[in-house]
Amino acid sequence: MTRLLVPLMLVVLAALTVYPIVGSGYGVRSVQQVFMWITLAGSWNLISGLTGYVSFGHVAFFGAGAYAGALLVASAGWPWPLAALAGGAAAVLLAVVIGYPCLRLKGPYFAIAMLGLNEVLRALVSYFEGITGGGNGLSLPTLDASVPIYYVMGVLALVVTGLSWLIVTSRFGLRLMTIREDELAAEAMGIDTFHHKLGAFLLSAAGPGVAGALMARDQGYIEPISVFPLAITVTMIVMALFGGKGTVFGPVIGAVVLFVAQEIVWARYPYVHPLLFGAIIVAVVLLMPRGVLGLLQQRYRMPRTI
Amino acid sequence: MNVVITPAMLAQVIVSGILAGSLYAMVALGLGLIFGVMRVINIAHGPLLMLGAYATYFLTTGAGLNPFLTVPIAMALLFVVGVALQRTLVFRVVDAPELSSLLLTFGISIALVNLAQLAFTSDLRAVEYITGAWVVGGLALSKPRVIAFLFAAGVTALSFVLLKSTRLGKAIRATSQSREVAMVCGVDVARIHMLTFGFASALAAAGGALLAMIVAIQPEMGGVWTFKSFLVIVLGGAGNYPGALVGGLLLGLVEQVASLFLTTQLSEVVAYVLLVLVLLVRPSGLLGGRQT
Repeated sequence: MTRLLVPLMLVVLAALTVYPIVGSGYGVRSVQQVFMWITLAGSWNLISGLTGYVSFGHVAFFGAGAYAGALLVASAGWPWPLAALAGGAAAVLLAVVIGYPCLRLKGPYFAIAMLGLNEVLRALVSYFEGITGGGNGLSLPTLDASVPIYYVMGVLALVVTGLSWLIVTSRFGLRLMTIREDELAAEAMGIDTFHHKLGAFLLSAAGPGVAGALMARDQGYIEPISVFPLAITVTMIVMALFGGKGTVFGPVIGAVVLFVAQEIVWARYPYVHPLLFGAIIVAVVLLMPRGVLGLLQQRYRMPRTI
Repeated sequence: MNVVITPAMLAQVIVSGILAGSLYAMVALGLGLIFGVMRVINIAHGPLLMLGAYATYFLTTGAGLNPFLTVPIAMALLFVVGVALQRTLVFRVVDAPELSSLLLTFGISIALVNLAQLAFTSDLRAVEYITGAWVVGGLALSKPRVIAFLFAAGVTALSFVLLKSTRLGKAIRATSQSREVAMVCGVDVARIHMLTFGFASALAAAGGALLAMIVAIQPEMGGVWTFKSFLVIVLGGAGNYPGALVGGLLLGLVEQVASLFLTTQLSEVVAYVLLVLVLLVRPSGLLGGRQT
């Protein structure tokens, strides 16, 4: 099973590399969306899946990156790849401001602080309309870069997944998981829990920031409702949980399966689909806490860590 | 900033702050009870408040009841909903890691909001009963706010009597201080968990029923209340039930004072900055240490 996995992954990567040459515009955009969801779900997993500190507001980093990137392109005339990196930096900066006070404490403080963060950013963006355009949104100069953005988003998804793998198989990752299992015990063993949590949190903010800036460039127009919706947070949480939180490939599986399901089946019932996401969260937490990957790992002999 | 603050403005702000704060205190007391007794932060607390608001709306417009009569009915209905949620779902994660209980109640909250959207649509609704304001000595007192204050003060006072002087209240406090010792003393902890969740949902419903006469009712109205209730608990000190009173009034006052300088658009930002500051400076709450 594991021996087949590596060649299989190489084939998938090769197919994805040549896909924009043969695929339709719709197809390219859909795959790019899958890359984005892999990035978001994988990033959420870095903080919440590994340390157990639930982030209910990860879309804040996506939105912060989108606004930072869009402003740099529209007002300062930066080239979009540079602006995308700056979007990631802006998200990390925001994570420092939030993580510093909230991650020093144990317990649910961090989760609730993240729950409120999104509303706060949305209110701020609307308030400073002189800079951000407020509710009218922000338009970027027209540019068709959907194929280059496809590749950059793909590399981003690959980087986030690769980073997860590096972390999960490292001592750093082991310490994060120790914090998740028992924070007091982790401290007693000499782990500097605050700085480990903060480190994981900053890493988890970077990906969504870059992804947000890329989406802003690709769509050419952003507004507070389109980049700060609770639905994006919900979707990335559902994907990571469904695939298997705390694993490397769980978020990837969750993103692919749920995106395909969303496009093919649920798109016909737009009102039922968010309700279904709530139900999936409840069901996964109660019935299969390790997600689809956890079930597969139980069934077949696969390493538990990935 | 060129804002001139007159004593009359200040008095107005203090009165409005107390009126708003009474609702915060009552709703937050529910969240605090669940946290104290079960160590679960109920993310669905705000959506339960939203259901309370809809209960009042439909009982008033559908059954033609007086809106104030609907408050106890909404509380009773949501008590049943709360007990049902606890019996079927929440009890499974009481001893699980925090990650599970947070995610479970988050899932419940998403499901409740979207169920409400399906059942009631996203249209804004309102219960118009008593409107306008009393003018007392230069202060304008919004009539629905004053009546909501009286209701909230009454419900909160009754809750404290229940907690302080009844056997059930003693059992609830004992469970939140130490579940094992309570069990040894013969307290049926599972039953206390169930009743506490129902009681807390009823407190949220009372908030929703009173808000229905003040603000517009829509499925997403509850979200911010989970956050603000938590903030109130942090301000008062987690596990310290009277702290919810102080925290609620404080949040009401801070928001109103801030509205002198900033637009109301930023009221959530003010609440958020307050939370981060308290967590940074005094995470055990302004009233001091945890009781449990």
